[in-house]
Amino acid sequence: MKVLTLALRRLAASLPTLLLIIAGMFLLLQLAPGDTVDALMAQMGGGDPALAADLRRFYGLDVGVAAQLGRYMMRLITLDLGFSAIYGKPVATVILERLPPTILLMASAQSFAFFFGLVLGVLAARRVNRWPDTLISTLGLIFYATPSFWFGLMAIVVFSVYLQWFPPGGFSDITQSLTGLAAVLDIAKHLVLPTLTLGLIFLAIYLRIMRASMLEVLSLDFVRTARAKGLSETRVVARHVLRNAMLPMVTLIGLQAGTMLGGSVVVESVFALPGLGRLAYESVVQRDLNTLLGIVFVSAILVIVINFLVDILYARLDPRITAGS
Amino acid sequence: MRAARAYLRSPAAVIGTVILLAVVVMGVGADWFYPGDPLGLAGRPLQWPGQNPRFSLGTDSSGRDIAAQIFHGARVSLLIGFVATSIAVVIGIAIGAVAGFYGGATDTVLMRVTEAFQTLPNFILLLVLVAVFGSTIETVTIAIGIVSWPPVARLTRAEFLSLRTRDFVQACRVQGLSDVHLILREVLPNALPPVIVYASVVMAVAILLESALAFLELSDPNVPSWGNLIGLGRNVLRTEWYVSAIPGVAILLTILGVSLVGQGLNDALNPRLARAR
Amino acid sequence: MTGPTRREMLLLGATAMIPTAAFAQETPQRGGVLTVHFATEQRILNPSLQASTGVYIVGGKIQEALVDLDAQGQPIGVLAESWESAPDGKTHTFHLRRGVTWHDGKPFTSTDVAFTAMEMWKKILNYGTTLQQFLTEVQTPDPHTAVFKYEKPMPQGLLLRALPDLGYVSPKHVYESGDIRQNPANTAPVGTGPFKFVTYERGQHVIADRNPNYWRNGMPYLDRVVWRVIGDRAAAAAQMEAGQILFSPYSSLTIADMQRLGRDPRFEATTRGNEGNVRTNTLEFNFRNPILADIRVRKALAHALNVPFFIENFLGPFAKPGTGPIPSVSTDYYPTEPMPQYGYDVAQANRLLDEAGHRRGAGGVRFNLRLNPAPWGEDIALWSTFIQQSLQQVGVRVEIVRLDAAGFLRTVYNDWNFDLATGWHQYRSDPAVSTTVWYRSGSPRGAPWTNQWGWKDDRIDGIIDAAATEVDPVKRKALYADFVRAAQTELPLWMPIEQIFVSVFNKRIRNAGNNPRWASSSWHDTWLAS
Repeated sequence: MKVLTLALRRLAASLPTLLLIIAGMFLLLQLAPGDTVDALMAQMGGGDPALAADLRRFYGLDVGVAAQLGRYMMRLITLDLGFSAIYGKPVATVILERLPPTILLMASAQSFAFFFGLVLGVLAARRVNRWPDTLISTLGLIFYATPSFWFGLMAIVVFSVYLQWFPPGGFSDITQSLTGLAAVLDIAKHLVLPTLTLGLIFLAIYLRIMRASMLEVLSLDFVRTARAKGLSETRVVARHVLRNAMLPMVTLIGLQAGTMLGGSVVVESVFALPGLGRLAYESVVQRDLNTLLGIVFVSAILVIVINFLVDILYARLDPRITAGS
Repeated sequence: MRAARAYLRSPAAVIGTVILLAVVVMGVGADWFYPGDPLGLAGRPLQWPGQNPRFSLGTDSSGRDIAAQIFHGARVSLLIGFVATSIAVVIGIAIGAVAGFYGGATDTVLMRVTEAFQTLPNFILLLVLVAVFGSTIETVTIAIGIVSWPPVARLTRAEFLSLRTRDFVQACRVQGLSDVHLILREVLPNALPPVIVYASVVMAVAILLESALAFLELSDPNVPSWGNLIGLGRNVLRTEWYVSAIPGVAILLTILGVSLVGQGLNDALNPRLARAR
Repeated sequence: MTGPTRREMLLLGATAMIPTAAFAQETPQRGGVLTVHFATEQRILNPSLQASTGVYIVGGKIQEALVDLDAQGQPIGVLAESWESAPDGKTHTFHLRRGVTWHDGKPFTSTDVAFTAMEMWKKILNYGTTLQQFLTEVQTPDPHTAVFKYEKPMPQGLLLRALPDLGYVSPKHVYESGDIRQNPANTAPVGTGPFKFVTYERGQHVIADRNPNYWRNGMPYLDRVVWRVIGDRAAAAAQMEAGQILFSPYSSLTIADMQRLGRDPRFEATTRGNEGNVRTNTLEFNFRNPILADIRVRKALAHALNVPFFIENFLGPFAKPGTGPIPSVSTDYYPTEPMPQYGYDVAQANRLLDEAGHRRGAGGVRFNLRLNPAPWGEDIALWSTFIQQSLQQVGVRVEIVRLDAAGFLRTVYNDWNFDLATGWHQYRSDPAVSTTVWYRSGSPRGAPWTNQWGWKDDRIDGIIDAAATEVDPVKRKALYADFVRAAQTELPLWMPIEQIFVSVFNKRIRNAGNNPRWASSSWHDTWLAS
């Protein structure tokens, strides 16, 4: 119950931010040259002005900007995200269709980055300043410096074209109707390279933070006490150090949530994945305001929810903090 | 001085500085190494590196010398990185300083704005800004600066929050010095070091963002940027993959250099953590 | 890409001619799934409402038109069996095919044709609104006869040549109530064609199955067609090689990949089957910039571009130099006499620019121009870079302005905020449908792909209007020859490159490319060899 009230309070506090974002993006996109009818004309390869005027009426673009924003806000209050110009379907439906690949990609990339960042960070900290540390830290720096889209392209050349281990793109193989385990494995195979690509830079960040955090905790008094008590090094690390060192990592998850969606735009483009990132890019190019704002709204809620969960997790890990503060 | 010596003692920092200097030399000396227009038609398109002795790194799909574009592109990437970072740092410091110094309602409002920018996926905001304001090098640089300031603001605000309660600030206030004087001449110089260090992270991200935009064919096609090359190389990736590979390596090394320098600065200016190493 | 050798070009030309003859003796096998590269998703799939290749690739298999084109490019009846026209060109009667049913079982009748013509072709269909602007009514004396009445003469040749693209029929009983544009059938089409719509998963695929009640007995041979949405060209080429898609239409792969796959024995990269889908690359001038209003400058810019060099080194074997607004595939209207051309001549270019009073200044630059390239083609991007590089040589500094599709259309055709622009002129079967609008004055501001250059010529306007309503084919051809000569002399815009769209087939597909608009056609006789 306490969690629920906390959640509601957090949501209420974020409301002004949300409104700011939505209104801001709406007004900003009005300034872009051309509207969704122009984008449709480009796709059609032709059309006359009577048609264009008619279409503008159809899409509700014939009223002033303030009126359009007002209409949008009114709909938003009832959680109606509106109609997508590109797809001719409700925005909510479109987003729900495109959500799974993005969520799957983000979740696996985060898990991959977190797990390996943790492991490698711990390894590096335990062998600090010796060659395993130098090797891992250098790798971490190289991963951090690698542009994700370039890595994705090179991965396609090496693993798809030459080695042919993984498919070069797409979410699943639809020439066969696979079900159950075969379908899951098929999707997994398609997601290996994208996960590596998206997760690379986050792996580097987690690695560095974990290593620094471990080093900091390892130098604290209570660790010396534990060592003095005669506990084995592994035990010391596993039971005492890790739990405390992980705290900054946990906060980081929250901060990465927003950046990940942006990064997924590029990765989804390279690997032709039908996800939310690519949808956002499409809606900017096609000036589909409703879809773009819908995505922004959903991702903002997602970030707020993730940050909230992170705070709860943080509180459980660190008994010094109570959930209310 | 102690900081400078600590900096030079770290091999990573030195390597980073050397890399960065090499990139700067490439950029500054581009006209000397490769005179003429790097975007002009130099030879037949898509020649492999070494295939033609005139083109050590080959030519791209528009028949331009890749090596010339790498050298001239160094200038573009560094310039974009520097200017965008400066914009982000100036905006971030301004907002963070005011929020942290005054607190209260000002702080709440400014933090809401900062939060809004941070909750919005920054790449999507970048896409919209480029769609609205166009794809010239100037607008792209400003747009990157605009999406990069929030973390700087947060950092500055945290510093100001802790510094404003210190004794020397109270002392200055008692002397009747104006707020502006306090912010700019007393608190800011003490708050700057961690911000400057963080600027290296911002620069790395700025260079990556520009190259991502160029890859999506949303950057300025009239300048020889490394990202533009990677984007062009997409169409011939299967066979002439070097067109994308080479500029990618250049970006990697540059960001590596910037990160190492930043890390070196951080360690040199934060002796506490330096001890832990 | 060092350019194709002569041998390669001869081979490509030869292979383009052999296949149908060689395989004509084989018996079609039934069954199989044809997977197609669907490069750009469309908002709607109904070709009665939207005329574009992106819609035909899907909608053309599900819905049918009154006529289509046969292997020789002549109109052949599909939903119409025969037709006759009054000598004054104001009445055209179509006798419709009997025994045809819609996919939902209802019979196809003349009321469907009348409804589609008046409510869709005339009011909503892009290009259809212009074509049918003088259509007053469609009479339906019986369920299998549709009589089109026009208030101004409509040349039969023009109508028949336009109908394969602009004559798709939709079911009246599905569309008669409610807003046509919001009808769910727009993304779940109901037609009479060989394939029945099954599903459209956005971002993923469209699926259609064999229509068991198709009016052509024994056809279609294929069990199913799957259109896979693949936005990225490189990914599509990879899927082609992996056998996951069998056909990529309309030059949707990169130029390099098309050539590479063409050299692979498993595939064929050819213009065969696309002779009806021709485009020319344009160079558009904005006369509101006084520099470009001077014809000497326009001619100089044309002379500064080495078009054959560009084609050979950048576009490969799929393009050729154009000679004017009417492309060479238009056998009925392509002028027989040579027209004014502007070959590569740098000395002449420099001379003309000096004559026009633009001396070279600091850095050898005479003046600056902005070039807006349309964002929808790899060839356009290469061409715009080539223009920038070439004009630099004669002292014109070009800045390329990058915009997305909506921004490009608005900036060039509505805001007139450009100096030079380059894009595609898509020739749609008849100059009156797609080509003359680029030259005729009077198009409202903002209408894309029309004369927005701030230029007007009354004589050319007169020729265009006369040709659009000239019923005698011989006189019509002569009028269009006059039009081309005037267009090439005045040069308000230049169309120096002609390209036919390229299809990349997996050789398993039989009867592929057997008419000039095959990719848009119904595929009723297509089959897969195992």
